[in-house]
Amino acid sequence: MIRVLNLFCVAVMGFTILGLYHVSEQTRVARKELASVTRQIADERSHISVLETEWQHVASPSRVQQLAEARLGMSNTASAQLSSFDLLPRRGAAEEALNKTPLRNANAIVTASAPPYDPDSGM
Amino acid sequence: MNDSVFQRRIIIGAGLCVVAFALVGIRLVDVTLFGSANQGSILAQTVEPRADLTDRNGELLARDLPVKDLYARADAPFDFAEGARALAAATGADQKRLLKGLIAKQHSRKPYVLVARRITPDQEAAVMALGLPGLEFEPSVKRYYPDGRGAAQLIGVTDPDNNGVSGLEMGLQDRVHRAAASRGGSGKVVTSIDMRVQYILAHEVEEARRKFSARAGGGIVMDVNSGEVLGLVSLPDFDPNARKLLPGDSTRNIVAQDRYELGSIFKIFTFAQGFDEHTIRMDEVFKIGQGFKIGKHTIHEAERMPETLPVRDILAESSNIGTAQIALRAGGTRQRAFLTRLGLLAPMSSELPETARPLYPSNWGAIETATVGFGQGISVSPLSFVTAAASIVNGGRRITPTFVRQDGVDRRGEQVVRPETSRQMRELLRYVVTNGTGRNAEAPGYEVGGKTGSAQVPGPNGRYIPHALRTSFCAVFPAHEPRYIVFVMLDQPHGIKETGGFALAGHTAAPMAGKVIARIAPLLGVPNDAPPVKLADGSS
Repeated sequence: MIRVLNLFCVAVMGFTILGLYHVSEQTRVARKELASVTRQIADERSHISVLETEWQHVASPSRVQQLAEARLGMSNTASAQLSSFDLLPRRGAAEEALNKTPLRNANAIVTASAPPYDPDSGM
Repeated sequence: MNDSVFQRRIIIGAGLCVVAFALVGIRLVDVTLFGSANQGSILAQTVEPRADLTDRNGELLARDLPVKDLYARADAPFDFAEGARALAAATGADQKRLLKGLIAKQHSRKPYVLVARRITPDQEAAVMALGLPGLEFEPSVKRYYPDGRGAAQLIGVTDPDNNGVSGLEMGLQDRVHRAAASRGGSGKVVTSIDMRVQYILAHEVEEARRKFSARAGGGIVMDVNSGEVLGLVSLPDFDPNARKLLPGDSTRNIVAQDRYELGSIFKIFTFAQGFDEHTIRMDEVFKIGQGFKIGKHTIHEAERMPETLPVRDILAESSNIGTAQIALRAGGTRQRAFLTRLGLLAPMSSELPETARPLYPSNWGAIETATVGFGQGISVSPLSFVTAAASIVNGGRRITPTFVRQDGVDRRGEQVVRPETSRQMRELLRYVVTNGTGRNAEAPGYEVGGKTGSAQVPGPNGRYIPHALRTSFCAVFPAHEPRYIVFVMLDQPHGIKETGGFALAGHTAAPMAGKVIARIAPLLGVPNDAPPVKLADGSS
């Protein structure tokens, strides 16, 4: 009886060792994958960081102004050309507002105007 | 051989095994717990990460970018002379320094020699192609400024070890490190700067500097209620990404670090004191004449003036004689106390490490009182001036400048002048633009108020340089309830045909301020609904 019990215990021990080895091996592989994914995430974050910085560089106001002036023929807007959405007439009341309300922002002579875009200029 | 001999040999053998295993065990403990001293440690030399700096709208101002530092191990088997030559050719490093370092560290406990910091991917490939043993690429960071020169002096730079050495990089160092350690390293420090405003200010100052061939130029835009600095420009500037200065570049922040005699722009404080202490009335008329004698000194006007001028025209026409009389009514002691209350006689304190100690007379007599009244004999930094001027127009409450976003918080402190004085000064500043020397600063719809300043420039011997001027303009808008103050200055501008050869502030600095306001006001949500006014020169 004791011999059978011993054999059973040894067998259980053997299976346990195998099981533990299997789990340990799975853990090792998972850890390796995790490390790889973590590294990948860090690399991607690093790439995103560089791309964001590049975007900031190319979208800087100085560059946008240069391109807008050179390619689109735009120039600074005189303050009299600007208005606010709040000052737009409401739907329905538009006709009356446009006919009877003086233009609140026509308070200055527009001194500078954007040169028209010339498609043949090659810019 | 008998048994005792075998027994002794077994014991000796066992003893040797125990000693060998003990040595292995000790070494294991040494390596695992205490690390290996012989391996050296590059990690100990790695730089501390810094958080992003952004403007108030989240636009990136400064960021750590991943780069690599290259180290060579001096205990690796390669020909030092040949290796140093090849590495120098591939990375641009100093060959002599490399060779010297390799020889010196050959038997060192830390055998690492820094070959080059922040190498580019091309250089990395060239180094790999050499096939030298003992080379290690250590991940590092490089602080990068996407807008380059846009706000160079304001943001500042870091040293090779990523420590802030100037500008906000230095002033906000603790916050930057704290933010870098928070939120898994994705924290950021949000500054008060608005990059759109910063760009417009820099662009207009550079345009004016070029147009009038000025030596230097500067500008500040500040919220008068929160003290937030939205833009601060100092020209000439430098490229913070280049790490070396080109001819004509300067790292000096002239609007925070330098002190100037600002001239007539200082009259704002003399008038504010006069109204606050009831020594002048708006309807009063002063005798001007052709000279005003104080002891053996005579004060003259920069331009011809009428015999008499009302108070408001003394400021509008920038009369030195009228202002001197107003200053003398207060007297030196009260004038000094008033300027102290405005914070003009002490270095400005803010997150910006660059600051300047003001210069003022040690013996504050009658002539000093008169000259300080119109901005001579006292030198302050433009940032100090703007802060004091903001306190005058914001309802009369003390404000301190800040470079960190405050989300519209009203940071006005104690009352330094009465609210009624503040209102009178705003009215006067508007009058200067509609009827005085500041006409060219008008931006239709935004109700600009302001004051011109054309100061003489002292030379190295202390005497004023003939015909050299430092011109400035301090503008507030909208004048009836100011939200922002705009200060611009040019150092030694030259008159041009368009200005009739004049280089005075009304011709050089005032138009620059008007252009800045016309461009930034729509972005800052200031409505352009002020009714049109007829300016004194007939334009509208």
